[in-house]
Amino acid sequence: MKIVAVTACPTGIAHTYMAAARLEKVAKTLGHDIKVETQGAMGIENKLTENDIRQAQIAIFAVDIAVEERERFNGVKVIQVPLQEALKDPHSIFAKIQR
Amino acid sequence: MTQRVGTSLEFAFTCSLSDGLHARPASHLAEAANDFASESFLTNLRTGSTASLKSVLAIISADVRHGDRCAVQVRGTDEQAAFAALQRFVEQVLPGCDVPLAGVSPAAGSGTLPRILQSAGVKFCFGSAVTAGIGQGKVVQLTGMALPTSLSARTAIDSPSELAQMKRALAAVRARIGEKLAHLQSSTEAAVLQADLAIASDVSFAAKLTEHIAQGKSAGQSVVEAGEFFIDLLRHSESEYIRERALDVEEICLQLLEEMYGRDFQSAALELNEPSIVVAETLAPQQLLGLDRRWLKALVLEYSGATSHAVILARSLGIPTLVGVKSARAVIPPGQEVIVDAVRGFVVTELTPAVERFYERERKTLASRQDFSPLQTSGPAITADGRTLEVGANASSHDELTVAFENGADGIGLFRTEMAFLQSDRPPSEEEQFAIYSEAARGAKGRRVIIRTFDLGGDKAVPYLDLPAEDNPFLGYRGVRIYAEYRGLLQAQLRAILRASAFGQIQIMVPMISSLEEVLQFKNEIEEAKRDLERKGISFQQDIPIGIMIEIPSAGFILDQLCSELDFFSLGTNDLNQYFLAADRDNPKVTELSNVLHPGFLRFLKQIVEEIHRAGKWVGMCGEMAGEIRHLPLLVGLGLDEISVPPSQIPAVKRALSQLSAADGKRVLDDMIASRDKLAIENLLDRAQAMQSAQPLLSKELVRLGSESKNKEEAMQEIVDAFYIAGRTEDRQRLEEALWLREAAYSTGVDYGFAIPHCKTEAVVADSVGVLKLSQPIDWGLVRDKPVKVKMIITLAVREPQSANRHLQVLSKLCRKIEDEEFREHLLAVENAHDMATYLAEQLEISLH
Repeated sequence: MKIVAVTACPTGIAHTYMAAARLEKVAKTLGHDIKVETQGAMGIENKLTENDIRQAQIAIFAVDIAVEERERFNGVKVIQVPLQEALKDPHSIFAKIQR
Repeated sequence: MTQRVGTSLEFAFTCSLSDGLHARPASHLAEAANDFASESFLTNLRTGSTASLKSVLAIISADVRHGDRCAVQVRGTDEQAAFAALQRFVEQVLPGCDVPLAGVSPAAGSGTLPRILQSAGVKFCFGSAVTAGIGQGKVVQLTGMALPTSLSARTAIDSPSELAQMKRALAAVRARIGEKLAHLQSSTEAAVLQADLAIASDVSFAAKLTEHIAQGKSAGQSVVEAGEFFIDLLRHSESEYIRERALDVEEICLQLLEEMYGRDFQSAALELNEPSIVVAETLAPQQLLGLDRRWLKALVLEYSGATSHAVILARSLGIPTLVGVKSARAVIPPGQEVIVDAVRGFVVTELTPAVERFYERERKTLASRQDFSPLQTSGPAITADGRTLEVGANASSHDELTVAFENGADGIGLFRTEMAFLQSDRPPSEEEQFAIYSEAARGAKGRRVIIRTFDLGGDKAVPYLDLPAEDNPFLGYRGVRIYAEYRGLLQAQLRAILRASAFGQIQIMVPMISSLEEVLQFKNEIEEAKRDLERKGISFQQDIPIGIMIEIPSAGFILDQLCSELDFFSLGTNDLNQYFLAADRDNPKVTELSNVLHPGFLRFLKQIVEEIHRAGKWVGMCGEMAGEIRHLPLLVGLGLDEISVPPSQIPAVKRALSQLSAADGKRVLDDMIASRDKLAIENLLDRAQAMQSAQPLLSKELVRLGSESKNKEEAMQEIVDAFYIAGRTEDRQRLEEALWLREAAYSTGVDYGFAIPHCKTEAVVADSVGVLKLSQPIDWGLVRDKPVKVKMIITLAVREPQSANRHLQVLSKLCRKIEDEEFREHLLAVENAHDMATYLAEQLEISLH
């Protein structure tokens, strides 16, 4: 499955990046194709393009703050979870997608 | 409305002050009245009570309220001038006397309990730390100087004899204070005695005493009642200064009683014979000086003033001091062992094992910090790029000189001499001055002592000089300008300074120079003093260096002329800035404008320093601008030869200087000079501060393995302490709070036994990574309702990030790497701090230097 994701936390210097790494790792083991955009203290990195988003079947927002440029995701199915969940129990997020 | 009534001049006014003529305006009014020989009285037309305008106590007791009509009468030799000045004062100045006083800002943090102590349920009470430090010892209470009430019961036998006894006592007390004043070395003490003398001489205090005796009370009872009356009045003033005067009244009353009854009513000097914490409502400086400083570990005062004489003294002597500790005497019982934390602002009143453990760790932290980055108390300050800057001290008293030299002053950049002139109703003799100056010269042991000739006039009125009250004293008759009229005084001082020059490296500096003529005239005076001494065969240093304070802008534009006549210069930035920007820094309405960081002012300073250096002459700075650590990059950038700062500041200034680079300072100065707005200037200073510590993200000092911390609170504290020891933060409390704030959102614990506490805060001087590996796993809070145990804590602290910050990239890389099992395994396996730092640096591709 093609997945796009956004991670973001209030301070934007630690968990944003840990969560991104975690989602990438778990997706890989589950055989998904994922691209994770980080919205942290350095701004938006690894930015999702219009093309990335159009091709994705689902978007995961693992965020504790509002997603920037949210309008990019209009028309895409979005699962939003607290960022902590991506760190604590990433498998459950992917389980939700399967359903 | 002006008219002549009988033989006096009179005018009337309506009190427009919302709180009436309370202590603060009253003190201004009395000051104005005391500028003149004429008697002046105020009559409250509502109550009919009349008060001498020369007595603060009397004016307050006239109870003038908002809207009261008052009459002022002036009578005496200079009544015309007095009348004009008082009328002008009442009409123009008095209505503005109600502007709130600038608040007293305590020096250090006032009261947040560290998390460890909070969670340990420790008993404590808060106060404001005015001298930082930590002291532990047994509580000794000073019960204060409350007037003995037993005397109220005495009945008078014979009013005239009671009156005579009282008058004798007053005269004796005055004489005794005068006697002490005449034989005094320490100016701090002199200021205190001067205040006492003012009370003992206060006309309405005497009147009140007489009034009580006339009512048939005994002299003792009258003293107690009059004392209580005035103390009560003064204590209720909202002026800090006036509240302080209540202590002086009490002091005088006790001395009077002692004089009359021959008993020692003062609480006897406390004997300390073990580490002690002195707890008191308040303290007279004499009491503080009477305490054995070997055993005095800290002071705890209920009274909240940060500017009382005792507090100022405690600060200059470096005694950890808390003020404003409510009901301290009630809640901190004598004999109890307590810890005074005058770093954080509280007293721990019960030493539980948790407290002992906390302060045990704290002592180690403070000692480690001292080892890692010692406060420099000797040798010159050398910047990181090798430039030397002399750090001198500003001093005006014996005590300050002592502290200055203990703290490693390279010299005395400004020795003020006014104190000796202000503390008595006659000028100091040549001999008295010689004693003071030669002692300073000897104490300096070869170091430079710059003695400034008297700067009287202006705001410093002296009873024996017939200086007129001026509309604009700062632009008036002061400093060098009065020397021609008071040649005798000047000659005596110059002879005293010259004679002292035989005992050390003395330099003469003259204040308020605006023209070359003044310099030439002053040099003639010095020649005359030299000839005088030569005739008498008294030795002195022939080529004593002569310099000026640069405080009038005009001096900065004739430097070519001045340099050819003088040996050195010192920038008196307080007055220079005020004259340059036409803004009085004590006037709250324009304080904002009086800004030493004004680009125009900085340009002016730069120009001055460059021109003096071109002429090969020496230039220092002795204004308050020099004492602020924040300003140091600028001062180094200016290329000054010396800065002169308050004595207690010297070690901190020297340490900070050793971390600065002159080249960076020059860049900061140039950027600031080019700045177009205030905010940009502040930012530049902030950045200079961070630049000061161009430190790598990680160093081995920030890595601690084998930590014995037993819980999250202790671990956090240990991390913050490690940052402090390594010089990454000067504000542990703020850093710790920033980290806890983040934890409040949700625990930064992650699985695999790691935690990543982090924060953005200006409390760190450089972006930093800290590593703490625990001997035993500890709880790191709940993550999704499940407790997490952690063994490895990696702390990230960054300053408010600039965009595209490389440090942030490294940190994000680090966070991503924690997901990598091999990386984690390696971190857990590493055995020493050096290897840990090296491994992390490799993995993150960063340098440790």
